[in-house]
Amino acid sequence: MDRRRIRVLLVEDEEIHRVVARAVLRGAGADVDEAENGAEAVRLVRERIGGGGGGAYDLILTDRQMPVMDGHEATRRIRAMGVATPIVAVSSDCLPSDVHAFTAAGADDFTPKPLTKEKLGHILAKFQLA
Amino acid sequence: MGYLDEQFCQIEDLQDETSPNFAEEVVSLFFKDSVRLVTNIEQAMEKYPEDFNRWDAHMQQLKGSCYSIGASKMNNECTLFRNNCGQENAEGCMRSFQKVKREHAILRQKLESYFQLLRQAGPAGTATRPAGK
Repeated sequence: MDRRRIRVLLVEDEEIHRVVARAVLRGAGADVDEAENGAEAVRLVRERIGGGGGGAYDLILTDRQMPVMDGHEATRRIRAMGVATPIVAVSSDCLPSDVHAFTAAGADDFTPKPLTKEKLGHILAKFQLA
Repeated sequence: MGYLDEQFCQIEDLQDETSPNFAEEVVSLFFKDSVRLVTNIEQAMEKYPEDFNRWDAHMQQLKGSCYSIGASKMNNECTLFRNNCGQENAEGCMRSFQKVKREHAILRQKLESYFQLLRQAGPAGTATRPAGK
């Protein structure tokens, strides 16, 4: 039986980080949607759970600092929709206060940039997506 | 200390038949970004004297880009700049910014040479690391 590919939403405004993360995710067999800011991410999540997009994402990876809407606010709004999808912050802001701010917003985990195969492996194992 | 760390190897490992030039594409993106970010920092230092928070915010972005390709030496210089911002040391910032620009130029030269060599060597010349290392 074919394993269903995991559906990941990658939220990142910087192109270079998107390109690298996309390659790591696809290498792990994931289908990847991308949003360049938090507002776009919220819209995509809403679309998915609205029935038109094939169901919720299996995983959301989000940066913090983005134009229009940052990762903290996007995380809060996604959680306010009742979405339980694991949200992992992937950010270069790595102080304990940064990590705490993300978890307070509703994120499940935090990993420093850049996303690597090893870090993704840990994330997938932690949330039983491997 | 080397110019690039393990992250660069990870980038090369992401290359496959569908993306045979992935590493070079990522490096091109890095330099497209980093040239812009260095200019932003330069302009910020000129237009907003001793606005250390602003300078630091710009340098944080450049640091993030450095992480993406494993530009460790340049990253270290970026860190020193940020430390100088934290200490509100304008002269220190000026000095470390010159070092950031120098490392940026050196890295560009080295990577251009590297990819040129790879192109000359052709697909059969692609180096592979021994298994288990």
